[in-house]
Amino acid sequence: MSELLIVILIAPVLACLGIAAGLPAKKTALMTVLFNLVASLLLAFKFQIGSAGYQFVSSIPAMSLGNYFNTNLKFGVDGLSLLLLLLTTVVSAAAVAVVPNDIKRPREFFILLLLVVSGALGAFLSIDLFFLYIFHEIALIPTFILVGVWGNQDRKFAAIQMTIYLTLGSMVLLAGLLGFYFAMPENVRSFDLEEIRVALTASPLAASVQGWIYLLLLGGFGILASLCPFHTWAPAGDAAAPAPVAMLHAGVLKKVGIYGLLRLAVPFLHAGVHQYVDLFLILILLNVIYIGVVTIWQKELGFMLGYSSVMHMGMLFLGIASMSVLGLTGTVILMLAHGFDIALLFALNGEIRRRAGSTHFADLGGLAQRMPKLAFLFVIGGLASLGMPGLANFAGEIHVFFAAWKAFPWWVTVLAVWGIVISAIYILRAVRNIFFGDVPSTLPQSEDLVKWSQRWPFVMLALALIVIGFYPRILTVFVQPVVNSLLGL
Amino acid sequence: MNWVVLLAPLISAVLITLVLHPMKKLSVLVSILACAVSFLASLCLFYNNGAMHLSSIDWLDLPGLKVQIGGMADHLACLMLLVVSGVGLCIHIFAYGYMKEDPGLSRFFAKLSLFMFSMLGIVLANNLVMMFIFWELVGLSSYLLIGFWFQRPSAAEAAKKAFIVNRLGDFGFLLGILGVWLAWGTVDFKELSQQVASGHLPALLANNPFAVTLIGIGLFMGCVGKSAQFPLHVWLPDAMEGPTPVSALIHAATMVAAGVYMLCRVFFILELSHQVLQVIASLGALTAIFAALIATQQNDIKRILAYSTLSQLGYMVMAVGLGATQAAMFHLSTHAFFKALLFLGAGSVIHSLHHEQDIWKMGGLWKKMPVTAWTFLIGTLALTGCPLLSGFFSKDAILLAAFQHNKLVFSVGIITAGLTAYYMFRLFAVAFLGKPRSHAVDHAHESPLVMTAPLTILAALSVFGALFGQEEYLGLEHANHGGGWIVMGLSVCMFVLGISGGLLLYLKSREEPIHISLFANKFYSDELYEAIFVNGQQLLARLLDWVDRWIVGGFLVRGSAVLSTITGEVLRLLQGGNLSAYVMVFIVGVVFLCYWVLVYLKPLF
Amino acid sequence: MEAFTQITLNHYLALSGILFMIGMIGVMMRRNIIVIYMSLELMLNAANLALVSFSRFSAVPKLDGHIMVFLIITVAAAEVAVGLALIVALYRLKQTTNTGDLTSLKF
Repeated sequence: MSELLIVILIAPVLACLGIAAGLPAKKTALMTVLFNLVASLLLAFKFQIGSAGYQFVSSIPAMSLGNYFNTNLKFGVDGLSLLLLLLTTVVSAAAVAVVPNDIKRPREFFILLLLVVSGALGAFLSIDLFFLYIFHEIALIPTFILVGVWGNQDRKFAAIQMTIYLTLGSMVLLAGLLGFYFAMPENVRSFDLEEIRVALTASPLAASVQGWIYLLLLGGFGILASLCPFHTWAPAGDAAAPAPVAMLHAGVLKKVGIYGLLRLAVPFLHAGVHQYVDLFLILILLNVIYIGVVTIWQKELGFMLGYSSVMHMGMLFLGIASMSVLGLTGTVILMLAHGFDIALLFALNGEIRRRAGSTHFADLGGLAQRMPKLAFLFVIGGLASLGMPGLANFAGEIHVFFAAWKAFPWWVTVLAVWGIVISAIYILRAVRNIFFGDVPSTLPQSEDLVKWSQRWPFVMLALALIVIGFYPRILTVFVQPVVNSLLGL
Repeated sequence: MNWVVLLAPLISAVLITLVLHPMKKLSVLVSILACAVSFLASLCLFYNNGAMHLSSIDWLDLPGLKVQIGGMADHLACLMLLVVSGVGLCIHIFAYGYMKEDPGLSRFFAKLSLFMFSMLGIVLANNLVMMFIFWELVGLSSYLLIGFWFQRPSAAEAAKKAFIVNRLGDFGFLLGILGVWLAWGTVDFKELSQQVASGHLPALLANNPFAVTLIGIGLFMGCVGKSAQFPLHVWLPDAMEGPTPVSALIHAATMVAAGVYMLCRVFFILELSHQVLQVIASLGALTAIFAALIATQQNDIKRILAYSTLSQLGYMVMAVGLGATQAAMFHLSTHAFFKALLFLGAGSVIHSLHHEQDIWKMGGLWKKMPVTAWTFLIGTLALTGCPLLSGFFSKDAILLAAFQHNKLVFSVGIITAGLTAYYMFRLFAVAFLGKPRSHAVDHAHESPLVMTAPLTILAALSVFGALFGQEEYLGLEHANHGGGWIVMGLSVCMFVLGISGGLLLYLKSREEPIHISLFANKFYSDELYEAIFVNGQQLLARLLDWVDRWIVGGFLVRGSAVLSTITGEVLRLLQGGNLSAYVMVFIVGVVFLCYWVLVYLKPLF
Repeated sequence: MEAFTQITLNHYLALSGILFMIGMIGVMMRRNIIVIYMSLELMLNAANLALVSFSRFSAVPKLDGHIMVFLIITVAAAEVAVGLALIVALYRLKQTTNTGDLTSLKF
């Protein structure tokens, strides 16, 4: 099955070449992502549940970077990567499917979009840290272009801000990764996660070294995942991005930051995490409470969703900070839940923009009368976002709350739980202003999601939320062995 | 097999939403059938009387936290199941008559089924987390049903308000659950009660005497939100924007009582702290009299009933605070019967008056709608505590407990009883008796059988409901000791006083004879909330948004951008575009580099 | 014959250096872009000469330098093709090959 993994990785690149060579853009892209979706589901069925190690491993030694850096292009999945692979394939299928048919320069758009997809896939499937970094960069650069060229509203500023911030984040991250690499004893230096594990379980890094490496990694990964106060790029960028790009970025790419912390900080930098846990907690609570309150004030749906996504990242970080089985499991569930959820909401944001011509609350109202199906889907997404049981986010949040309650002083959890009140306020305000009440006379006539061909990406995402929400153990069976091994249990 | 109780409404909700919604009649039929199935299954469970244990599945199973979706069908749960599904069935049938012409009929019944599912889930829950899950789902269905006519801005606002205020309560509830878990290491009711019964406190609570009070307050906050106790009562009157059957089912009979049910479920934890019980009792008493006072000056028929519900919920909560959980559950069941009856009666009136809700535009309905009027009268009598009707026994049980434990609470309770009789007969006199007060009444007619039949059934239950109740609930056997007769005598006195006051003042009057603006304006609680919370939070949000945009975003981001621009401006002076100059600089650089390599790095070679 | 053997590595390197300097000064001083271009080629050939002579005079004769030179010659040929094409295009656009007039690339 390891060939299938490589095929999944290469498929988007081949599709890019195909589109460049003249194949019909949207059809090719859609076929590719659907193929990837099916293939990743197949992998999930073949995956052997219960073992913590990597499966379907394959490496391409020709790509190793010589003697100086011990890197190897090596792919494989364990329970965690597998779930993120599924997240990526599902969200990318939805993202490609919701690209409007009348998009300008379709060829370039789809090529760049597929590059983002392949970058994200590569980042989650690489066992080698160096290539994780490289693939993430491969995904980011097209994102900047997509926002800058195909975006809306304040797209130029948003794209520049995003570029500066994320490049800065990547630099800090690279410094952290290199620091990590050179902090290891010379004879065992490696970027290969499996080799690192062997090397560092035998002799962990000194606590002081762990501290500064952790800070660098937290800065780098934190910027990528919009940790407060390094978040301002995220709402602006996501609000300006075209819907498919916002879906992929907020839904998938931001998770790379979390994924990196899970892979590196949790198993190898225990002491560092403990040393700076107070700082981390303050930033997390800023993420939840401060950003939450800011979200309430937003008057435009895109910005509101962008800010809410930043706020939810706080919950994910909180799970990591707790350094416990419960918390990490919660974080992983939330990664998927938030990914599906924010992708669904951003996709609907795009639909609303196309149909109503605006996403400012002041211009909207009563859309549920004209588009009941769209409203229904939005309400599902919104409810997931505010932590309604039966939908995926709740399952993750409850884990995180339990973990935080046990790990930290009581006020941390009290403030974090206050977040569910805040998110209820802003989501319900949005639903009220967009879908309920009277229809403003200025609103153009537009139709609902009438056909299944339009509807399926949204339904697929909503279904994912419902399935995880009803039975979160469908995820925890995959995650548990990995979490245990990350924590060294 | 026993999961039928829970699954039937869920299947109905899903089926209607996905498949059946274009076929209205079939949707209604499926929903009513599902409710009937739940009712029958509840009956089975009730007669097996707790012997049955529902099989459970692990929802979460991690080290330190195990959450099951399982059922606990003990006596308390079975009683509640019967009340919920029985009253629910009546209301489902009534709702068909009431909502027949609405274009969203299928949607309505799908949501009703969703509500039944969640409510029965709360009742069956065998652990706190499962209860919280269904607790939230109930809040969701309430939100959806209040906002059923979402085109109306008032309904949309009311739905939002109900959900957010409930969330405030849930915030405390969740923290309470977390506290319980941290203290005892489990959230399962059975394990918890065993541990508490074993007598020794866990280390956390033993070292921290205040912790158990905090846990109790947290759990009680859930009840304050859902059962609309002061100060989180503001959502319930607004919730009357929903269709009347919804008000009857959710905002009178079942959901709002869930808070009381939950308190009874976790009573063994609340009991550990004397302070918690005191808080509960006082807040309940406060709500009871507070809402009763407001009810005396309202003009909207549904709002009067809503405040009456608040007041009665205050009674139940008070009873829990006094330790009389059985009395609380007893009053909960009888209240479910007669309050559902009253709301459905109001619905029948509203239906026949084409959505006129102001009681001052009614009057003289007694002749036009005899069945409705008679059943409404029975409901009113039951609520006001007319001797030998169900409400009399349950209310007396609570008052007796108050009399034995706390005289202050008792006096509040007995005054509230008088006020209840007063405002209910004000309502009855103005709406049903006397001469028609507007032309809206001219075309009034009796509602069809599909609506009057449930009224009749509920009226019968309101009369005889106390007999179904178990003997141990009845305060009567205690009547001989501890002042039982005093309590009974006093409450009958208050009943008579209240009725005569209400009838004398209002029977003949064509407009409100008394004006107390403090009560009419609900103690200005909405205005206070608006001023303090809504505006305060808006102001804070606005401030922080500004900070985020211009300080965090501006200073850091734009600052770095400005810095780069300045650097660029300086460096561009070097870029004259002259090739020779570039080459010169380049060569000088290379020369220096060579020099450096040769001189300083030579030792390395 | 004897005089011939007296030509050592140093001679070759000196020649190479002189050629390189001529080329470099040409690149620096001349304004005509074609002349600059020719000077550049001179510098490349100076480098070629150095490489070949190192290869010839090494203790164990190797072919490394020769291979390098072939590579450079090939690349230089390609470069000439591209470079001259660019110069022609530039001339068509600006009607000049004087670098003093070609300053529109400044920021």
